[in-house]
Amino acid sequence: MPKVKAKRQSVSLDMTAMCDVAFLLLTFFMLTAKFKPEEAVTITPPTSISEKPLKNDKGVITISVSNDGKIFMGTDDVDARALMLERMANRFSVPVSATMQKNFMDSEFIGYPAGAMAQVLQKKSKEWKADGFLKGIPCDSANNELYLWVSYAKIANPALTVAIKGDGNANYKVFNQVVGTLQQQNINVFQLITGAEAKPRNVN
Amino acid sequence: MAEISQDSGGKGGKKRSKKASTKIDMTPMVDLGFLLITFFMLTTTLAKPVTMQLNMPDKNDDSKETSPVKMSETLTICPDSSKVYFYQGIPGEAGVVVETADYSDKGIRQTLFDFKKRIGANFTIVIKATKSAKYKNMVDLLDECAITDNKRYAILEIDPATESMIKKSGK
Repeated sequence: MPKVKAKRQSVSLDMTAMCDVAFLLLTFFMLTAKFKPEEAVTITPPTSISEKPLKNDKGVITISVSNDGKIFMGTDDVDARALMLERMANRFSVPVSATMQKNFMDSEFIGYPAGAMAQVLQKKSKEWKADGFLKGIPCDSANNELYLWVSYAKIANPALTVAIKGDGNANYKVFNQVVGTLQQQNINVFQLITGAEAKPRNVN
Repeated sequence: MAEISQDSGGKGGKKRSKKASTKIDMTPMVDLGFLLITFFMLTTTLAKPVTMQLNMPDKNDDSKETSPVKMSETLTICPDSSKVYFYQGIPGEAGVVVETADYSDKGIRQTLFDFKKRIGANFTIVIKATKSAKYKNMVDLLDECAITDNKRYAILEIDPATESMIKKSGK
């Protein structure tokens, strides 16, 4: 009987095509992914069962409340930001230089008393945190700067919606202050940014 | 993985002139590629924030379009940092009892279901957060309202009468 020579099959296969696809997809996801917007402080929002995505097609004002009760505000509308700075500087008679303007526009949030603007905006936004400038926007009845910032933003773009992003451990009192301030200027609809949570199943 | 070395264990025997192959093993590269894809896909979907819409009544609107709410159909709940106080009726009146529940699904959720079943469609929830309540507690309660399908709720500031009643109850 002649020896049957089993044909040896090659175990290696050409992976070039697979590799191409993998890296194509990788490139696509990396390019389309949006970076997380810059945040003044780390905020962990509470979770809710709501499934509505954040509506931000016409621009949104985000008011953040950190866990120690500091208030930050930002908007993605660049024109509104420029006008806010102009009016706020006017009101507090702070001369705005080109550097200050640039530093203001570079950062997406405001988190300092307007009186300190002259000092804060001299530095780049990356250094604010290290220098301890991020004291939050004052929002009490005696000195309500949040009211001014929001109203100037609304003048620039009345279609801006308001989103509130509060840390789960922030005191409710601060949240109440923020809502009260906004209600004074007839903003009655808020979007509370929360993390996603599964809906409970055993609901009778 | 995909390529098995054919001449394993030479044990220093024959020396074969190695033919340089033009193929390289791409398995680790593909592995890495897909690992990164998986990572990016998972992180992009997980970071999507959701929002909860909150409508507050217009403070300046004095129109008389308000509908009176019966006290017997109203439940006042006061979230605190670790538990929820709830009562029916006007604080300070005789017969008003403060009870407590926790934030678990057997706690305030069951209470809301029970009240809703008993009172019916006109069941109204009044939320008055205590001074030590956290923002999280408020969102949790709004969430419970959504879970128990109660659309009639109002957020008010806590009044001294309620505060003293909670304090007196000692719970």
